[in-house]
Amino acid sequence: MKHQSATLPIAWISLRILVILNWLYGAAVLGLLAFTFVNESWFRRAIDVPAGTEAQPIMIGLRAIAALGLIAVPINHLILKRLLRMVETVSRGDPFVAANAYRLQAIAWALLALQLLSMVIGGIGKAIASKEFPLHLDAGFSTSGWLAVILMFVLARVFAEGTLMREDLEGTI
Amino acid sequence: MAIAVKLDDLLHERRMTLTELAERIDITLANLSILKTGKARAIRFSTLEAICAVLDCQPGDLLRFEPEWDAGEEAA
Repeated sequence: MKHQSATLPIAWISLRILVILNWLYGAAVLGLLAFTFVNESWFRRAIDVPAGTEAQPIMIGLRAIAALGLIAVPINHLILKRLLRMVETVSRGDPFVAANAYRLQAIAWALLALQLLSMVIGGIGKAIASKEFPLHLDAGFSTSGWLAVILMFVLARVFAEGTLMREDLEGTI
Repeated sequence: MAIAVKLDDLLHERRMTLTELAERIDITLANLSILKTGKARAIRFSTLEAICAVLDCQPGDLLRFEPEWDAGEEAA
């Protein structure tokens, strides 16, 4: 029996929107990064660097964070596109294919890369933050994030094994 | 694959068509055709039992191990 569910179309549309939002986020970060070079003094006032604080290390740190944020854009795109392809295979009624196992593995590696990026960004944030210039970033080591990475690698392996078993079953008369 | 399915020979000996066998053992003609052409990856005991019962034969009459040319060369 085939279940007609709204989940798949909603997931497909949401992923499509997220793909666009991801690129918009990238464009915004790129614009911001470019602006720090074009009008540095305005930017310093905007982020409210207190008088008497050495602004140059903060600027370098923030630019590095923005640059790392840009690296996250293609990684996010990779994850979203693969998820989108997986949702499409589910819609076609044939998700247990080898391609999806490879997609899950690629997503696992991408999540690992994002976790590492997050830790580097968190480290930079801590390095440039001070009592005069408090900076609270939602980045750094995340137990749930690393758990998701491990889970994804395991799931990819389970999926690959499941696909092989299904292929065997399909050829059984 | 080194396992050959001799269904065609058995059907010929019994003067039976593939369609007739498919109907009698309740397996789709498409699946039985896959088995006959040697494209199947595995065969269930229940399928083997049904075929043997209808064709009045032993599993060994249906399946035969035929070493592939490369395998034979390696052994030599």
